[in-house]
Amino acid sequence: MEFKQVIGNRRTIRFFDPNRPVEPEKIQVMLEAANRSSRAVNADFAKAIVCYRDELTDEVREQLKTPTTTVQIDLAPVTIFWYGDATFVNGAQDRLKELVDLGALPVTHGWTHPYVDDLVFPQVLEPLSKDQLATTWAVSVEAGLAIAHAMLAGVDEGLGVGLHAFNAAGAKDVLKVPDHWIPMWILLVGYPAEDAKGGGQRPRRPLSQSYYRGQYGNPWTEMPEVTERLKREGMIQDPMPADASERMREVKELAERFGLPT
Amino acid sequence: VTDPDIGSQGSVKQWVAGAGLDHDPAGTRERKLAILADFCARVGKEPDELVAFCILRKKATGERFLSVKRRETVNGWLDEFAAEQGWTGKDAVVNPNVVRSFLIHNGVFIQGGVWRG
Repeated sequence: MEFKQVIGNRRTIRFFDPNRPVEPEKIQVMLEAANRSSRAVNADFAKAIVCYRDELTDEVREQLKTPTTTVQIDLAPVTIFWYGDATFVNGAQDRLKELVDLGALPVTHGWTHPYVDDLVFPQVLEPLSKDQLATTWAVSVEAGLAIAHAMLAGVDEGLGVGLHAFNAAGAKDVLKVPDHWIPMWILLVGYPAEDAKGGGQRPRRPLSQSYYRGQYGNPWTEMPEVTERLKREGMIQDPMPADASERMREVKELAERFGLPT
Repeated sequence: VTDPDIGSQGSVKQWVAGAGLDHDPAGTRERKLAILADFCARVGKEPDELVAFCILRKKATGERFLSVKRRETVNGWLDEFAAEQGWTGKDAVVNPNVVRSFLIHNGVFIQGGVWRG
């Protein structure tokens, strides 16, 4: 699938086909996409535990559920629990110097071994690692990049995906998560039981409401020809219609199929 | 608690309106009301009280919040109720979800069983 089409096709899928297995090969593609994400100090911020629903014991599955996640966890054949590693600074010095040696961090931009040893590590990274708020910020941003890669790779593989919050305390116990992993999101994965396009793209505000040129208050001006091109190329798709009757009918049919409340 | 009794409660009226129970065939609507009435009788709470049970107030601010523990308790009650009723297969999923539908339409975000058969 073309890149722009992948972005355009992504929806948060809430109804998965619970009985259609997800190929482990496709999960590996998603994990490799995460592994290719941009990352500060070339650290492995993102950590993940892939859980196949039917490989979990009933007891474990029950422990992972909360009154707000039961339906999703029961329907999705795969749940990926995403975490961020708060110990990302460990080994950062060596990784940075490796990038210097490889020319990825070039001398033209000021990068040398002494700069890493004498300034970056002791004056930036070490203090950052001791600041819990700053660590959580850095880990969350960096893990988010990896999660986004995995999510879009899943869409590219023809899968449905959806990010949700989860019961971190319950999961920590069941999944034996180390103390230095910070909980991020769960990514539910499966083949959609609902329309893969979810009835249309979700409402979005114009670029001018969030993006600026030069300074805050000077909104980005959209170029209509670009907007039209993105429509042709699939990034911008038809929004969900204001008349939601068709979508409501689909939700009702899914509710009947899965015995869910309406 | 009997069917006519629960129909007069505000929470039940809200459910009937929100879930469109008035548009259901009469038999379906009565069956759903009966499930709710039986469950309420089983746990010894009126429908309005069942909704209130799931919503607590913070001691410091008085702000209302949905209690996870209370909703877990309700889910436990529903499991017991379904077993006592002898429901099996899809009925064991659909019928407890009638009560969850009632709670959901009264602002209580709660999820339960899914039929995967």
